[in-house]
Amino acid sequence: MPKDLGSFLTRIRREFPRELLDVKKPIRPHMWEVSALLKHLEDQGRFPITVFHNPKNLLDKDSAFPLVMNLFASRERCALALGLPPERSRLEMSLEFARREQRRVDPKVMSEDRAPVKEVIEKGARIDLRKFPIPRLHHMDLGCYTTMPCIMRDPDEGFYDVTFVKCMYKQPRRMVASIELPHLRRIFEKYEERKQPAPFVTILGHHPAFLLGSLALTEFGNDDYETIGSYLGEPVRLTPSETWGKDFLVPADAEIVIEGLLPPGVREICNPFGEVTGHYQPQWLMPVLDVKAVTYRENALFQGIFSGHLGHWILGTIPKEGSLFNALKKIYPHVTAVHLPVSGCGRFACYISVKKRREGVAKTLGMAALLNSPLLQWAVIVDDDIDVFKEREVVYALITCVNPARDVDVVENVFNLFTTALGHRKVIIDATRPLDVPFPERIKVPEAALARVKLEDFLT
Amino acid sequence: MTEIFWVRCPKCKGRFYCDTELRYAGVDLICPFCQTSFDVEKGLETRTAPH
Ligand SMILES: [Zn+2]
Repeated sequence: MPKDLGSFLTRIRREFPRELLDVKKPIRPHMWEVSALLKHLEDQGRFPITVFHNPKNLLDKDSAFPLVMNLFASRERCALALGLPPERSRLEMSLEFARREQRRVDPKVMSEDRAPVKEVIEKGARIDLRKFPIPRLHHMDLGCYTTMPCIMRDPDEGFYDVTFVKCMYKQPRRMVASIELPHLRRIFEKYEERKQPAPFVTILGHHPAFLLGSLALTEFGNDDYETIGSYLGEPVRLTPSETWGKDFLVPADAEIVIEGLLPPGVREICNPFGEVTGHYQPQWLMPVLDVKAVTYRENALFQGIFSGHLGHWILGTIPKEGSLFNALKKIYPHVTAVHLPVSGCGRFACYISVKKRREGVAKTLGMAALLNSPLLQWAVIVDDDIDVFKEREVVYALITCVNPARDVDVVENVFNLFTTALGHRKVIIDATRPLDVPFPERIKVPEAALARVKLEDFLT
Repeated sequence: MTEIFWVRCPKCKGRFYCDTELRYAGVDLICPFCQTSFDVEKGLETRTAPH
């Protein structure tokens, strides 16, 4: 069975039923009700995959498409998506992610009549995006947004670029596509320079390994379908699109595919939109998507991300940790772990632990980290007895080991893509214990006693 | 990093913010609270951000 979203949810229901919440009661995603329910759960510390079986559509009528939210709001579920046991969801998973980034699996092309995503085909006047349960998430959001990966094809080299792009509903056959990330923008600009409309596809739901694979840190020119196959552990099945046929292949096992054209030189208003920083992205102009075809499975699921919340942050964390760890290891082999905490939105801060043998190493690693990942704004370096996946320990090191006069460095006038109070600055904090001045030793319970006293002997 | 300016919707008085590219783009803004379109000049506030 080829991997798809439905098969993943079936497995979760069977093997990890507490990880999934079925909501049967009708709910109105376009009236902020889905985000309200997810926020209530979040306030209770609960982040299950939430399947809304009876959502309303944009016309406030019953939608035929169940809405799946919060799938990525747990590292353990991301591990399961990649075929790993949940207990390997920390640095091990990130290292496996980095390993798969280096591999390629050729996609498999199949005919339209066998492709699940072609079970229903709508074109022209039959298209009405209002049939979908597109959520409006935060109070200042300008409208309802899809939040799933989009696909473009380079007009010169022919490779496919796949990455997350939000699209705002505008009219029954029109959206505004937030093409901000450099690869897609570069492809779009190539079409614009030729004054040609750019083919653009968004997929609203697929197996989570497909979606995670679309986040791999590949260079411009990489064929992302090949990389995504490495994450799925099987070839991505592709099928000709309705609009461009074999000249633009789409994922055959997606839930829903929206095909359209981005006309050159056309921009329309979109945003505010609650983004990854937990702030609203401002109103601005973005390219327009004229929708040409919509295809989907019978019983298709509509998938979304709760932007600016845990699942969104974890999606940023996993692809960067492994490659950053590997890069820092090359500089200093005694690096023991790297974590991009969700408190830094999974992108803006990294915690690095190191078995420090000499002074100055921590700051060298901090500089290297900030150069390695352009989104990073903060680098915190701690000793190897601090578990970087336990934030309380990292904060303990910050409070007890940092002398601000010498251990905090602010690098002025360096570019940051995302807006935070830092502006165009980056910060390195050396929270390791100093080796060159007398400093107290950290307390510990003797190893021999820990080995001798077993919890189960005393608590049973 | 994005530079922003705050505006107030002339109809519902709701406040939101825009990228500075919209200051002189000649495009009407759209209020996220009441969906009214309005000229930038009609929504400008004197201060740039709340504190
Ligand atoms: Zn208004």
